[in-house]
Parts: sequence; structure tokens; C-alpha cells
Amino acid sequence: MRLLNWTRRFSRRGFLTGSAATIAAVAATGGTVLADSQAGSLAEAGRLTSEESRALLKFTRDLFPHDRLDDSFYARAIAPLQDEAGKDASTRRLLAGGVAQLDRLAMAAAGKPFADVADEKTRVAVIKQVDGSAFFTKVYGDTIVGLYNQPEVWPKFGYEGPSSALGGYIHRGFSDIDWL
Amino acid sequence: MPAKFDLNDSSVVVIIGSGAGGGTLANELAQKGISSVVLEAGKRIEITDFKNDEDGMFGLFTWLDPRTTSGSWYVAKTSPDLPVWICKLVGGTTIHWGACALRFQEHEFKPRTRYGAIAGANLLDWPIDLKEMEPYYDRAELKMGVTGTHGIPLLPASSHGKVLFAGAKKMGYTKFQTTNMAINSVPRDGRASCQQTGFCVQGCTFGAKWSTLYTEVPAAEATGKAEIRPESQVLHIEHDASGKVTGVVYADSKGALQRQKARIVAVAGNSIESPRLLLNSSSSKFPQGLANSSGQVGKNYMRHMTSTVFAIFDKPVHMYRGTAQSGIVMDEARLDTKRGFVGGYQMELLPQGLPSFAQNIVPGAWGRDRASIIDSYANIAGVWLIGEDLPRETNRITLHPQRKDKFGLPIPNVHSDDHPNDLAMQKHAFAQADALYTSIGAKRTVHRLSFPSTHNMGTNRMSEKPQDGVVNRYGQSHDIKNLFVSDGSQFTSSGGENPTLTIVALAIRQAEFIADQMAHSAI
Repeated sequence: MRLLNWTRRFSRRGFLTGSAATIAAVAATGGTVLADSQAGSLAEAGRLTSEESRALLKFTRDLFPHDRLDDSFYARAIAPLQDEAGKDASTRRLLAGGVAQLDRLAMAAAGKPFADVADEKTRVAVIKQVDGSAFFTKVYGDTIVGLYNQPEVWPKFGYEGPSSALGGYIHRGFSDIDWL
Repeated sequence: MPAKFDLNDSSVVVIIGSGAGGGTLANELAQKGISSVVLEAGKRIEITDFKNDEDGMFGLFTWLDPRTTSGSWYVAKTSPDLPVWICKLVGGTTIHWGACALRFQEHEFKPRTRYGAIAGANLLDWPIDLKEMEPYYDRAELKMGVTGTHGIPLLPASSHGKVLFAGAKKMGYTKFQTTNMAINSVPRDGRASCQQTGFCVQGCTFGAKWSTLYTEVPAAEATGKAEIRPESQVLHIEHDASGKVTGVVYADSKGALQRQKARIVAVAGNSIESPRLLLNSSSSKFPQGLANSSGQVGKNYMRHMTSTVFAIFDKPVHMYRGTAQSGIVMDEARLDTKRGFVGGYQMELLPQGLPSFAQNIVPGAWGRDRASIIDSYANIAGVWLIGEDLPRETNRITLHPQRKDKFGLPIPNVHSDDHPNDLAMQKHAFAQADALYTSIGAKRTVHRLSFPSTHNMGTNRMSEKPQDGVVNRYGQSHDIKNLFVSDGSQFTSSGGENPTLTIVALAIRQAEFIADQMAHSAI
């Protein structure tokens, strides 16, 4: 059967922010809310620090760990969150506070900040402790859209994307399965 | 040429909604010379606006106005703000539908008689039967160009379909084929044939799939007997002292309130908005809402036993290539209570593109196990298990006690609890689908519980007796002679089949009745 040309280029689409309702991503929110005293100086809008961004990228990779994807795909998945933090103080506070909590939990478990913990199992155990928090829910809901909506990601999973402009699949192997 | 009617023209039929029910009714009436104003809440777009883009089209056509949920159903946990997936556009959900066009079976019109009394269910026979519906099914199939009927060839099988059929054969099933689809397998009715794009449910860019947007609606307009007003959301239906409806109040595209007078009002806003509108139209004469002397408006909400099994193979399937749902196994659709439940279910192909698949396969899950499923995307086949769910009085649409929409009207709440029969059917269906795919080498199967349903039925149901339901055998309200329901909310039971063909057949039949009643000055 016709197999994919993995090097094929896809036209770049912008990020789709999706809708707040985007199909049911996550179970009920709630859980951890950052106390004001912990937020401290984080009340201002502003881009995340490079350390915070590094932790957020690592966290997103652990949520959706595909060895076939390099970090650039995860960086693009978190980019809209960074932009939002730059414009909105509450988002900045939520993200920075969430990263701070990951770091605290990682320090307690392994004596290092989250992004420096090499052992995946240890990081997963840390993430389990924040599953369901507002931070988790926000990052999960946004990055699950931002990661898999990148056309550059699709061929890595054998998905070809839009077909109309190519005439559909009627002459491109819609029925050529050969292993049954 | 599209007509233009005056707001004070009280001779028109006002049709609320332009989907399978409303769009078809407008055209059928227009062909008989009867004038209608179609008030559609959504915008009017054209085929050229369709894109092969799952998230983009979701955002463009989905009805995203606020709704709430309650009850023990899975959707209330995973999608509390979006209980159903239906459309808000001219053409309604016929833009999004998968185009499986199946007739109900004989026993499915008579569930109370054939299934007996079942605790916790509000079963009732339809006041009509299959024999009476057959001529209208014929006309609906011809109108929509349903493959495998009336000499129209079936579509060819995709690789994804061939996987399903190979498993079905191993299981000893005999009723499998490419589905009867309202998708042109050959050019027909001025529309192209299917090009196997795989984006049926994002809107068919070739127009091969039947949608009222580019069939019934322009055909009605061409008669000069129909006016479509997009971005016109009806807020109230009004009546006179005798109880007859006299017109509707709607918000136009600028949000200004308008009053359109009418001789007849037909409600076709799908099974959430239609009962909501009747309830929101309560008055001193009808304090429970219009057409609600039975108390059944909003009750008996049905959404089908809807579940999915995805199977992971060692070799490529590329499920996204080709007509999305054109493969079916019908063996389990029979009535056979030895399986431990009443009613039956169909097994229909359900591919998804990578973005949708990745976002939905295991809601809320993360980590290596979930990622390993996505990693296998190219080697996955999927089947949707759609079966009859039972009506329950407590599964219902109600008006939210506090929350209001932008027009100040209460938003709808959708409450549902699965009946034990639904769960027994789901368990059976999961086991059969697992066995089907495992028989041809699947190394793992993944069960996906309910999505927000596109099949929504029963909330203004048909009944022989006025005390049992909202409308009669023609969709005419028991209480108010010139008020009709023209969508899936009039279904008395859900059957095991996709509802659209039956909605269209009922609309054709209803148009005949309305024309006859008007000719005899009965309404």
C-alpha cells in the first residue's frame, strides 16, 4: 500500500487556540490554588523566565511523551501560554506558581528543581501530585491542542492532513491495504 | 429567486431551523406553493468556506452557546459545558453529519409492544409504523441520493472499511457492506461524486454529501416561496386568546427584536433548543410552556448508546483516508433479548484525524501509555457502536434556574443517567468489537466512552394519546393545531440507526399533511 513520504512538507498553519470548550479535554477543575503569600512578586504580567519555560516544556513533554518528537514541537506547543502570561497577570501567576510547586515537590523528592530531575519516574510521581490542579488543567488543555495541531507534527504520526486540494484520496490509496 | 416577506404577513409558515427537518420542510412546502420564512440562529456560509481542518471547523460551525449538564452520564464529567455536538449555521447539523442514511426497523417503531414494560424506562410505541413510513423513506432516499437504494451504487470500500469487513467475516457476521450513505457515489443532482477526502464531518468540500445548505435551502429559494433569514434566533412563540400561535419574536443579526407573524409555526431547532423554546414560551394560558399539557416537553431525552473501540495493529491502516463512515456491520442491530438487553446496535466506521484523535482518545489521561496509543495512529482502526437507548422521564432538558443567555432567557440544562439496558448493550458491544478486531490480529483495543452526541432525540415526542406525548403522528402539537415539531425531538424512541433519514422522511410527510390541512382550511 502507499506509504507516507516522511519528508513531505506541509504548509504551515497558525496555531489554533481552540475553544474553551474544546471537546472535553479534562475532568473537573479544582484542586490546588496558589495562595497569595506564595505568589509574592509574581503578580505582574510578563513572560516566563527561561528557567520557568524550561520546566514548563519538560512538564509538557512528560504529559505527552513522544520520543519521535524533538523539543522544538513542545516549545511551539507552550508558546501561546508564554504569550498569554506576557499579557495577563493571572495566567503568569498561575504558570509561575505551578512551576514553583513542581520545583518544590521535585526538591522534596530528588533534591533538584523539576527540570533537572533526570529520572522520568520521579518526575511522573511529582506530576501525579498536581494532576487536577488549575495549573495542570490549564497547561494540559492548551498544549494538547497546541502540540497535535502542528502540521509539522502530523507526518511524524503518519497523518497527512488536508486532502481536498490534492483531490482527496480517491487516486491516492484510500483502499490499497495489502496485509489483510 | 428568494422571497421577501413582510413581518406582518400572517399567511406564512414560520420554520425555526434550517437543518434536516426545517430545511427539508421549507423545500417540500415551497414545491407545493406554500410560503415560508425560515429563521435560522446561525450564519450562512458556503461550501467554499469549508476547510479540511478539524479544530477550525469545530469552532466555525458548533453550537457553543452556554449549556449545563447534570446526571451520572460520562459526558457530564468529561464535557460539562458541551453536552452535544450540533451545529449553528444555515444547514444545521447536516453540514457535520456523517451521512449514514439508514431506515428504522419494524420493531423499533413499536418498542413498548415488542420490548414490554421495562422498569425505569418510559417506553411508548410510535403512533406510526414502518409500513406507513416506507413510501416516505423512498422519497427521502431519492431526494438525498442514498447509496445502495433505488439503483444508486454503493461507495467503494476504504482500507479502513476492509479491516472492519475482514473482522466481521471472521466473527461469522453476514450483514456488512459499505453503508447506505447520502453521499454521491456517482455525480447526481448537480453535485459531484465522493473524492474520498476523509473530512466528511468537517463539511464536504466537494458537495458530494447531502446537506440542506446546498440542496433543500436553495431549491426552496428558487421557487420564490421561501425566505431564509440567518442569524435570527427565535426567543418566544406567541399565541392569541384562543391558544393558536400567531407568530414568533426573534433577535436579528444586530440583536434587535423582531416579530414575524405566522399562520403556522414549525419548530426544528434540534432536541435541546426545540423543547427549550417551547418551555421559554410559557404564558398565563400555558404556564408549563407551549404544547406541554402532557408535561412531556423536554423529557425522554435520548442520545444513543454511543461508544467507540479503536484497535491497534502492527501494520498501517490510515483510517483517515476515504469516506469517513462508509462501512457498517448490521448483525447486532437485531432484536434478540438473549444478549441481555432490548434493542440493538450498529457498528459503523469512525475514523478521526490526528488532532481530534489525540485530544479525545482518553480524556484527561497523560503519560507513556496514552502516548503509545497516539504513536500507533497510522496503524489504528476505529468503530463506533451506536445503539438504541431507552427514553426516561428523568433524562431531560430543563431551564436553568439561574443562568441566562445573552438575550436574558434561561439556558438549557441537559440531565442524563444511563439506563441499565444501555450499559448492558454497551458492555456487549465493546466485547464484540474487541473480538472482531482481535480476530484479525489487533494487539490492543482502546474503549472510548460517550462523546457529546450528534444524535439527539425524543424531547417532544410523538404519541397516539395527548397525555403521553407532545405531538401526534404528523408532528402536530396535540394542544395547538397550528404548532408543529419537525426535527428529531419528535422521535418516540431512538432506534439503533442514525436519525437523519427518518427526520427527512417525517418532514416530507409532514409537508403533505400541512398542505392538506391548509387546503381544507383546517389550520
